[in-house]
Amino acid sequence: MAILEIKNVSKFFGGLAANSDVSFSVEEGMIMGLIGPNGAGKTTLFNCITGYYPPSKGEILFDGRRMNGLDPDKVCMLGMVRTWQKVRPLAKLSVVDNVMVGALARTSSLKIARELAMEQIKVVRMEHRADFIAGGLPIGERKKLEVARALATQPKLLLLDEVMGGLNPAESEEIIQLILDIKKRGLTQMVIEHDMKAIMRISDRIVVLTSGEKLTEGSPQEVVSNPDVISAYLGEAHA
Amino acid sequence: MNKTILMPIVVLVVLGGLLAIPKFVDSPYALHMMILLFMSVMMGQSWNILGGYAGQHSVGHAAYFGVGAYTTMMLMHTKQIAPWYGVWAGIALVVVVALIIGSICFRLRGPYFVLASIAVAEILRLSAINLTTLTNGAEGILATELPAFKIGGNIITDFATKVPFYYIGLFLVALTIAVTYVVQHSKLGYFFQAIREDQDAAHSLGISISLYKNIALVISAVLTSLAGSFYGIYVGFVDPPTVLGLDVSVQIMLICIIGGMGTLWGPVLGSLVLVPLSEALRSNMITEALVKVGMVNAESKIGIFLKENLSHAHVLLYGILVVVVILFMPDGLMGFIKKLAKRRKQEAV
Amino acid sequence: MAVFMQSLISGILIGGVYALIGIGLTLIFGVMRVINFAHGDILMVGMYLTYIIFTMLGIDPFVSVLITFPLMFLFGGFLQKVFINRVLNALAQNQILLTIGLGLIMSNTVMLIFTSDYKILTTTYSSSTIQVGGGVSVSTPLLISFLITSAITAALYWFLLKTDTGQAIRATAQDRDAAQLMGINVKRMSIIAFGLGAALAGTAGALISPTYYIFPQVGGVFTLKAFVITVLGGMGSVVGATLGGILIGVTESMSAVYISSGWKDVIVFVLFLLVLLFKPSGLMGKSRT
Repeated sequence: MAILEIKNVSKFFGGLAANSDVSFSVEEGMIMGLIGPNGAGKTTLFNCITGYYPPSKGEILFDGRRMNGLDPDKVCMLGMVRTWQKVRPLAKLSVVDNVMVGALARTSSLKIARELAMEQIKVVRMEHRADFIAGGLPIGERKKLEVARALATQPKLLLLDEVMGGLNPAESEEIIQLILDIKKRGLTQMVIEHDMKAIMRISDRIVVLTSGEKLTEGSPQEVVSNPDVISAYLGEAHA
Repeated sequence: MNKTILMPIVVLVVLGGLLAIPKFVDSPYALHMMILLFMSVMMGQSWNILGGYAGQHSVGHAAYFGVGAYTTMMLMHTKQIAPWYGVWAGIALVVVVALIIGSICFRLRGPYFVLASIAVAEILRLSAINLTTLTNGAEGILATELPAFKIGGNIITDFATKVPFYYIGLFLVALTIAVTYVVQHSKLGYFFQAIREDQDAAHSLGISISLYKNIALVISAVLTSLAGSFYGIYVGFVDPPTVLGLDVSVQIMLICIIGGMGTLWGPVLGSLVLVPLSEALRSNMITEALVKVGMVNAESKIGIFLKENLSHAHVLLYGILVVVVILFMPDGLMGFIKKLAKRRKQEAV
Repeated sequence: MAVFMQSLISGILIGGVYALIGIGLTLIFGVMRVINFAHGDILMVGMYLTYIIFTMLGIDPFVSVLITFPLMFLFGGFLQKVFINRVLNALAQNQILLTIGLGLIMSNTVMLIFTSDYKILTTTYSSSTIQVGGGVSVSTPLLISFLITSAITAALYWFLLKTDTGQAIRATAQDRDAAQLMGINVKRMSIIAFGLGAALAGTAGALISPTYYIFPQVGGVFTLKAFVITVLGGMGSVVGATLGGILIGVTESMSAVYISSGWKDVIVFVLFLLVLLFKPSGLMGKSRT
């Protein structure tokens, strides 16, 4: 059962085709990896999917429902939430208040929102930081906070944009475990990542983008041994 | 002692004290000062909801202040409608005005939003000058005779003294603070602050930006128009520069900036600083104090200069305060106090 | 027809002065990304400076531009170094509030010194006019100020296009970080830009002093007009500010004649809002976020 269908999606900025005729499906409960060199159009695709801007061409279907042009808040309420490549904490609010903002998407009661928030904070193992002001957190914890906040909106599909960017190996390992735990809960995830080892470990399938187009898709083994993928990343000589 | 028990007790004690003041204090001047204080807190707190919590720094709040003031005064002056009815018309009108202004300004961000907010307030001010049949133009509206307030044939007050204004002011300021408190401790407060901190992030978390910005705006505009209506009936005179001018918008913001934006007690602190200071300047209190202490000779050039000019200097004071606060205390007095408290905590550990 | 030409020409002439104000503001924004809400008050300082020079030294206001320009440049540099520099990286709202505060200090200090009384600077030619033909006459001081404005604008364009410092300023406006990496002292550029902006505003004030009432609060209206002009022309674009100034001058003049002088400012503000809503990058500006 495909929870997300990307059908011939293109996004143009003036003359530049940031995404060009991209098509793939994401099955419920899976982890879909989205990789490609810098500038391949991965974040642009995320932005189209979550309503930051509409695709120029093509269709985005979530649970069979057409999502083109829906505002980001409606996208979230329908069950898709994303984290940001450049983390966006609500800096002046505490950790728990940050996550409560996410929880308040599903309840109007502050009491319930706080309980829901604390649950997610426990999942990312930041209970000891609950009252800490988000702006003062180091990068690793900011990333975890962003995941907790997104989870608090009770999504069906979680889109993670380079959540391991800038983290040390220990922190990255924590995130990998977190992603695998989230999968156990039944959530579907799409993960943009540059860390190849991580992507290999967590993904069920991988889509590869280059220069806005879909180069190929397949299982991690298929993708990593594909000569076109290797040359896209490293140049022709290494293929 | 537990903070959650202490705060309500302190609030009740202060409230009780404020209610009792007119019984023990006769001086109309003292009551006047308190009324000015109440008005200042009202103005600052109303702006705080839109500017401090939701992060939309409107520099055109005079628009809502003026709509409230003019509507109430116009209805009283031309149609003899009592202000306790007229104020509702002001509120209805200001909701419409606010939504229109919001639909224009909220599409813009940062400095462009600020500029647009100033432009709309100026359009209103200039329109008030030009639409003379409606507003009496630059002459303004003078209406000092308030009808007596009756309940079932019994005259409660005929507004002959300052006392009824004191109680109205107290009621309105308590209302404004209560509304702010409720907002702060509700979903609205969280969503407003999310929008302030990072609009795009908030949007992606299910928050409808235009809906919540407009909610903040309407609440803020209504409370500001209440302050404007109160100002009108208390002072008895309104004209375009006094209630629709850029000065008013800046003053409203100042109260919050000095006190601390986005905090419940910021506008109160800001008012406690601004109102006595500006009044002290206005009434030559400072000059006289300096003379008494012997620092200045009343007949000397400096003495005469101070006597004549210091009373006009309160706006200069506003300017200096803004510059000092922005450069050295951008989080206002509340922020400064919190920092001190934090430092003491760390030193104690 | 004569009425149309009259109001058009008057509009262009005053538009030249507006262009100076707008160019100053757009330079400041372009180089520092600072929204200077004290711009009109700086103009006011220029007006009073001209007034003092006229009443105490008897120097004609147009001639005294030679003194006012450098003095206002130094004043602007001082403001930048002492105040503006500290908020270059602060929130936009803080920058705006700081400049509002500085403007308040300027206008109220002037009020303390000179009182709010309207001052008038009358020269021998203050009310004289020149016949241009076709039944159209133009105010002499307005014509002279336009000529001076054109000269200053031409000099400014030459400075920005042909001199090293001018090009450095343009580089800083285009990309501050890149300019710094190329060895440009961006701090110094900021001081120069603010100084220039202040000098242009102050000079504009000097140029209109023979024909405008001089009072401490006169700045506010000019600040708003300056913003309309720069947004219209595109924030950061000197050419845009030039065109914007002329356009606003003509719009005002036409509105005053064909609609009413009371509503002319409203029309300018409505035009402003329309531009903000539908073409925020202005006539010449590129979309900058």
